Amino acid sequence: MAEKERKKLSRRGFLILLGTGTASLVLGVSVGLPFARQKIAEFVDGSDGAFGAVEGKPTAWFEITPENQIIVYLPKVEMGQGVHTALAQIAIEELEASWDQVEVRQAGTGQGLDDSVGTSGSSTVSSLYQPLREAGALMRVMLIKEASKILTTPVENLKAEKGWVHSTIDDKALSYGEIVRNVEQWEIPDEVPPMKSPTDFKFIGKSIPRVDLVDKVTGAAIYGYDKRLPDMVYGAVARPPAIGAKLIKASEGTAKAAPGVVSLVLKEGFAGVVAETRVQAREALKLLDLEWEVVDSFSQEDIENLVSVGKGKGVVIQKEGSPTEQLNTSQVLTSEFRIPMAFHAHLEPQAAVADVRADKVEVWVSTQAPVRIQEFVAEAIDRDKGEVRVVPSYLGGGFGRKVEEKVAVEAAILSDSIGKPVHVGWTREEDFQYGYLRPPTHHVLRGVVNSNGKIEALEHQQSSGQVSFPFLPKIAKTVLGADFGSWRGAMIQYGVPNKQTITYLADLPIPTGWWRGLGLFANIFAIESFIDELAFSIGMDPLEFRLLNMPETKLGERMRNALIRAKAVSDWTRPAPEGVGRGVALALDAGTVVVEIAEVRIDNNRVKVDKVFAVVDPGMVISPDGAKAQVEGALTMGLSSVLYEEAIAENGLPSPSNFDRYPLLSMRDTPDIHVELIQGDDKPHGLGEPPIGPIGAAVANALFYLTGERLRTLPFGSF
Amino acid sequence: MKLLINHREYQVEDGDLSRPLVWVLRDELGLTGTKYGCGMGICGSCTIHLDGQAVRSCVLPLSFVEGKEITTIEGLAEKYSPDPSLLHPVQQSFIDHQVPQCGWCMPGQMMTAAAFLEKNPQPTEEEIASAMGNNYCRCGTYVRIKAAVSDASKQISKEESNG
Repeated sequence: MAEKERKKLSRRGFLILLGTGTASLVLGVSVGLPFARQKIAEFVDGSDGAFGAVEGKPTAWFEITPENQIIVYLPKVEMGQGVHTALAQIAIEELEASWDQVEVRQAGTGQGLDDSVGTSGSSTVSSLYQPLREAGALMRVMLIKEASKILTTPVENLKAEKGWVHSTIDDKALSYGEIVRNVEQWEIPDEVPPMKSPTDFKFIGKSIPRVDLVDKVTGAAIYGYDKRLPDMVYGAVARPPAIGAKLIKASEGTAKAAPGVVSLVLKEGFAGVVAETRVQAREALKLLDLEWEVVDSFSQEDIENLVSVGKGKGVVIQKEGSPTEQLNTSQVLTSEFRIPMAFHAHLEPQAAVADVRADKVEVWVSTQAPVRIQEFVAEAIDRDKGEVRVVPSYLGGGFGRKVEEKVAVEAAILSDSIGKPVHVGWTREEDFQYGYLRPPTHHVLRGVVNSNGKIEALEHQQSSGQVSFPFLPKIAKTVLGADFGSWRGAMIQYGVPNKQTITYLADLPIPTGWWRGLGLFANIFAIESFIDELAFSIGMDPLEFRLLNMPETKLGERMRNALIRAKAVSDWTRPAPEGVGRGVALALDAGTVVVEIAEVRIDNNRVKVDKVFAVVDPGMVISPDGAKAQVEGALTMGLSSVLYEEAIAENGLPSPSNFDRYPLLSMRDTPDIHVELIQGDDKPHGLGEPPIGPIGAAVANALFYLTGERLRTLPFGSF
Repeated sequence: MKLLINHREYQVEDGDLSRPLVWVLRDELGLTGTKYGCGMGICGSCTIHLDGQAVRSCVLPLSFVEGKEITTIEGLAEKYSPDPSLLHPVQQSFIDHQVPQCGWCMPGQMMTAAAFLEKNPQPTEEEIASAMGNNYCRCGTYVRIKAAVSDASKQISKEESNG
């Protein structure tokens, strides 16, 4: 195709014209900076767009090709949330494209991606909803304007539809591709045109089939563990016998002569093997002669002692009224809760391939945080950050664990030493024992409720291992005071005149960090179990008790509506069948309200959850079926943790090391799940995490009504 | 050594014959549709068919598979129908029910389901849950897997009764 020289555009706005190098229209959306500070940059790379010297750092961008194809490049990774589909739905809504024109591609750091947030916090859709719509609307206006010139038809008589601009007065029409082919110079409008009313949406709000599923059912989808490059070899890296033990001495032993060995890489604190196959690399690793520092071991008891309310400095993160005074009464009810450490147990362990060359560094990796990978890889092999191109693949689960950079750094170190691409894929044991875990937590709740069922005073004190701090600059500790990851979900959302939340942070010998929902799972378990205890103490129905104590705010109204809806769909007022207990719990997280009602029985001394009703108000829903899938998945993962999952410290390492002693929930004990979505807001909110919050308390509360026993420690699958 | 995979012959080096099939498939032959998850035969991500039986390739030594017919997810559709535009009814049903989230466990789920339906074409829900109960899905798609396997069984029965 003939390349045309395009003139530089200069328009203020959040849109960035990336260029027209191959006669395409490429427009980027920059998010997160104030409007006026956005830069317009020109895309100067006419090649494959891979190593383009893109200025202006778009977060997402669109390309309309002369073949009338619309390619949407997305900064957010697909790890099962369905975001590539949802973001594409949003992107083309205002653009008036047709779905079969659209192709979604993952953006990498080399293509201008600078999404330092990564894919986390249930923020993908909510953060990109408005910018993507506005970009689509602007592109539509640009296309119509150019079509008007080509067709010599006034703009007022043109209409964009299904990837074409049609005249409304005659039968003239141009496809977007034809327009793109014929335009020499584009103009970005000054103002964002009016957006559609939601009643006119053609894509947003529709359950459009996921774009990634055909590849995922045929085995064609490529994850970090699957990425292969020509001439690629495999690496394996030695692990310490206990956390924190440094490598003191390393020599080759008999490894060099082992079959398939390409190279041994022994350097300060690092011992690795590169071999023709992965199996050979792992075998040869055992033949290295390594000496590790002996470090002080720690036990599970040490961990639990460190995670204790009152230990260390408490930070008050919420305070209204005079809770301390009001709680100083004989009427006060007090309860303690403990939640253990847990693994993420994503089924694809950490994996990356790095290709370190003199002129460039490329890393393909299953990651939620490509920009973090870029920084750490650059530092590890002493290269400029700009030289490192990170391409995120599909992720075989993330759940917060794939924010870690280690595997990519290892692949880069090994590749750097031999000048060939090296793939490193961790074993399950490496993944469980040498990463980070969901932190253990301890909660003390105190409350006073009056005879009318109003909570007079409520206090939640919680202690947790770190969540966000290990990933933030040291200064963050001082600035933030408390770890927002550990206290996510810890604040009291009820309308209580005297309330406070105090958080304690424990620095543990076992690394802890992000886990789906962060502190949400533990904090909501504690709070919502305790709310039930308060209701029971005055003989009130727990759902009515929650309704009575809603705050008089918009959020309170959304929570109230969700509770009322859950009451109806679960037929709450009908007595539970013989041998079945029913429990309710509520969470507000990432702007989304979730009510879950569990029906539970005991079967052969095991807790059996028959049914879960979930009423979820995530505001505007992009794909109802995709939203339901997220609710089903999050609460199923949560239930697995509630019933079975517990990791402990043993001989200086997290334990167990594999699924033989860390069972997950299976289909055999998965409940029927009924999801109902309600829309209490006109904006989309988070969905990947919020539904994991209430499940623990919903089940524990159900068990209490069934058995009279209050379970305050997880897991409790055996009864 | 010659391996018969998805009706094709592959040549692999003899080497250490105790090495697990999953790594031979993935790293030596580039058939990455078969996934690794635990290496202990527990999670089910690496499930393939060996002479029509669902087996865990992460605990299957290479020495054991010589002369046997191996089917991986890449060959599942072809095994069912030579028409390249058709998926296996289990695969199609997994799309129809929008089952996969991250998708990593899915090849193993579908291989397990396909072998199971071969033996038991009209299973009850309990039988499905029991047969699929040893395949983990961390994204928590079990309710959809169950519905999809149930629908696939109906599809297979219908096709069979139509001859």
